[in-house]
Order: sequence, then C-alpha cells, then structure tokens
Amino acid sequence: MSRTVADVLALNARATVARAYVRIVGSIREPAWIVGDAVLPALGMCAFVLLYRGLGAPKSYETLAVLGGILSTYWINVLWGMGAQLYWEKQQGQLQLYFAAPCSRMAIFTGMALGGVFMTTMRTVFSIVMGFGVLGVRVHPESPLLLVLVFVVTMVALYALGMTLSSLFLLYGREAWHLCNAMQEPVYFLSGLYFPIRTLGALGGVAAGLIPLGLGLDAMRQVLVGEAAHGLLPVSIEIGLLSGLAVVFMVLARVALAYLENLSKREGRLTQRWQ
Amino acid sequence: VRALAARVKLSAWLGWQIESNWADPLTFIVYSVLRPVGTALILAGMFWTVAGHGARPEAFAAFYVANAFHEYVVRVLIGMGWIVVEEREEYETLRYVYVSPVGLLNYLTGRSAVKFALATTSVVLILVLGWTLLGVRWDLGLVRPGLFAVSFVIGLVATLFVGFIVAGWALVLPRAAINLNEGIGVGLYLLCGVIFPIDLLPHGFRELSLLVPFTYWYEALRRSLLGRSASTLLASWSDAQLLGALAGSTIVLAVVSVWAFHALERRARRLGRLDHSTLF
Repeated sequence: MSRTVADVLALNARATVARAYVRIVGSIREPAWIVGDAVLPALGMCAFVLLYRGLGAPKSYETLAVLGGILSTYWINVLWGMGAQLYWEKQQGQLQLYFAAPCSRMAIFTGMALGGVFMTTMRTVFSIVMGFGVLGVRVHPESPLLLVLVFVVTMVALYALGMTLSSLFLLYGREAWHLCNAMQEPVYFLSGLYFPIRTLGALGGVAAGLIPLGLGLDAMRQVLVGEAAHGLLPVSIEIGLLSGLAVVFMVLARVALAYLENLSKREGRLTQRWQ
Repeated sequence: VRALAARVKLSAWLGWQIESNWADPLTFIVYSVLRPVGTALILAGMFWTVAGHGARPEAFAAFYVANAFHEYVVRVLIGMGWIVVEEREEYETLRYVYVSPVGLLNYLTGRSAVKFALATTSVVLILVLGWTLLGVRWDLGLVRPGLFAVSFVIGLVATLFVGFIVAGWALVLPRAAINLNEGIGVGLYLLCGVIFPIDLLPHGFRELSLLVPFTYWYEALRRSLLGRSASTLLASWSDAQLLGALAGSTIVLAVVSVWAFHALERRARRLGRLDHSTLF
C-alpha cells in the first residue's frame, strides 16, 4: 500500500514534534546543562560589559555587549546542539536509528532546531535579567514587529547553518568536538558579538556574508538601539541577506546529508565510535 | 623524593604522549591558537571600537596582559578537571590510573606539566600578536624581572593547587564535570578582574575576589610587566604587601586543596564514581 502525500507530511510533522519534545523535556531534566547553557554565557557577557566600563566607554556599548552575550547562547546551541548532535548520537549508539526511521532526516533536524530555539530562548532569560536587571542596560525598540521578524529570520539562518554543520560532522569522530570549540571565540570575534561588526571593516563584511550570527545581531541591534548600533547595512538589506543565507544553508544541509550519509555507509563510519 | 620525582616525570611523559602523539595537529591549533587568540582579538575589537571615546591604550594593555596569563588558569587549573573527564569518560582508564602505584595526585601534577607548556605557547603567542599586530605595547624599561619571576612562580603554584580541587569535584560529579570545568574558568575570569578592575565588582564579590590568589597574581603581573595597576583598591598596596597576599592566599589554598582533593577522592570511591561513565 503506497503512502499519500498527506501521510508523508503527517509522518514528518510527527517526527518533528517528537524530536522537538525530546530536546525540550530532555534539557529540563539535566540541571548541569541549564547552568552550562544559561549561566556561563551570561558570566562571560558580564566580564565584557565591565571591560567597557573599565575603559570608560559610553553606556551604549554595554548594551551592544549584552545583546551579543544573549545571541551567543543561541550560537552555542547551534554548535553543540545541532552541529555536534549526530556525533553525540553516534557515540551513544543511536545514529543508526535516525537512518532506519521512515521519516525524512530533515524533519528530525527541523524538530531539533525548533526545540533548540525554544529551549535556548528559555535560557536567555538569565542573560536578560543579568543584562537589563543587574548591569542596567536599556534598549528602545523602534518596532517590536520588525524585531520579531529579524529574530525569526536570524534563527532560521543560524539553525540551517547548524543543520549543514551536523551533516558535515557526520563523517567526523572526536574532531567534531574540537571543531565546535574552534568555532566559538573566533566566530564571536568575526561576528562582532561584543562590538559593532563595522569595526572589522571589510573582514567583518566578508564574515557577515558567511556566518548569519553577525548579520542577525547587527540587524537586531539596529532595531533595538538605532544609530548607537553603528550598523553595517540597512536592516532591510540585512533581512534579505539573512533570508538568502537561510535558503542556501537549507539546500546545502539537504545535499550534504544525502552525500555524506552515503559516504559514511560506504566507508563503514556510521556506527564507528571514537575513531 | 626520588620515587615521587620519577612518578611525576612518568606522568608528564604520558601526558605528552596523549597531548601530542595521540591527537592530531587540529587539537593543538584549536586549543592553543584559535581559542586564546580569538579571545584576544575580541578584546582588541572592543578597544578599537571605543578608542575614539577616550579609552586609554595603557589601561587596555593592563587587561590584555592579564587575559594572556589567564591561559594558565584555563589550561592548567581547568585542565585538571578535563584530565579526569578524559580518563574516565573518553579513554575509560581512570580506574587503572587509580590502582597504579603512581597515585592520582602525582599523576595530575605530571600531566599538568604538559598543559603548562601548551599554555606558555598560547601566552607567548597572545603577547607577540598584541605587540606586533594589535598595537598593545608598553615601555619595556618599566619591566621588573625580579617581581615578575617571584609572582609568576607563586601564581603557577596557586594554579596547580586550585586545580586539585577542580579535579576532586570532577571525580565526584561525573555528569556535571564538563560544565563545572567551564564554569570555574569563566567564574575566575569574572571574579579576579582579569579584563577589568575589581573595583567595578559589586559589593560582596569585591571582597570575595580578595580571597582568591589570582586577583593578586594578575595585579602583580601588571605591575611587574607594565609598571601600573588596574585596580584603585590594590594600587595603594606596596609590592611586598601584594606578594605577601599572593603567597599567603596560595599557602592557605594549597593546604585546603590537598585536603579537599583527598576528601573528594574518598567520597568518589565510596559512591562508585571513579569509573562512572555518563557521557556515552
């Protein structure tokens, strides 16, 4: 009996919801992860805000650093919760179940991304409290709707990049862990997480074209603090670029996953641990 | 003493095998180059941004230098916790190390020697990068080698001993050890005023920072290399007072950490956590 399109859609929708559920509920059950994901980025953010104070910088720069600290939580989730996810699954001996399941792998990725965004948003509350409550920074959003639009487009682009990384890391063993570490501080710098990306000049422009974190953050800063954000490009152009990056990374993730799944099977690396 | 030295030397040799031969160059590049240089560049980017708003280069140099030396805390002190995680979770060899005649404390000391060498590479790299490319320069005539040598050695001793406490907690808390390691690193970065004066810390945290030897260490390193303080609170202290506080807090912590390590080690054994693999 062949499946109808409706059956296939329903199956993939169920897989998405199920994977998102696991991500949200599982993360709540592990207090150490909550501390790691919520508290540690906030502490790093506080240190950078105090550096601005130590240097005698205007207050508006502290706001930029706080917004960067909040976005860093999402980047950590993209790296470790999306990019390295198939590596974790391989280590736990569950990766073969993903490939044996009747649903699309992209449906599983989408569930991971949706659950990741929800869970991370809950965890940014700590950074928001630290930034706005304890450190006393202030924002003046010009349009809440525009802010929501920028946030959604940024998240789609970021998590699509996470899906691509996840596919690429499928081949790797221990290197996946190291690569995730390699993509923290250097990406924070190239994305202007704690200073306006415009400071980096052409280098910042190139980085913004490759990694959606800097572009999304720059757009959000412009919506929240206006000219004090020292934006790279007008918000409308940044939204367009982010949308383009989201589409490119989605397609890339799908192609890379199909290719690397095949390659991993051929080389017998799909179930290999600690290579 | 000869037997102890042989054990530490053997552990250092094993550490070198693990850190160099068993791993690929990617590991070295990521942890000794990319991450520390990435943080240094973030600081530089922040300074470039506010340089036109009256931020003084000499103030930034004081924070930049302390950030470079914080690599010892990240690699040696936090590295002790990572050694436990790797041995137990990754290689599943902690139980064999534990029952071997080397002794866990000697083993950790030996392994930390390699981490010290790697951290030194990162520190030199950050300072050279700062001096040559980022414009973080200061008057070399202000360098005081004697004060630097004494404070550097005492700070390293503090790093080693506080690392024992981190390793002890990692023995007791298998699942949470990774976050604990990262948390202590970030916590000390914030508490000890690595990239800002401790005067900016809220009341309570400021007093707490004065109990930690690294607060004095970073201050002594700034004075010995740049000839200036970052903190108004500590600026009025003489060099002797500063070194006394550094040495005193290090001695207290050393005694507490050895006692705490053995207590935590016994607890981990009692709870069956020595070979409790939780990650995979």
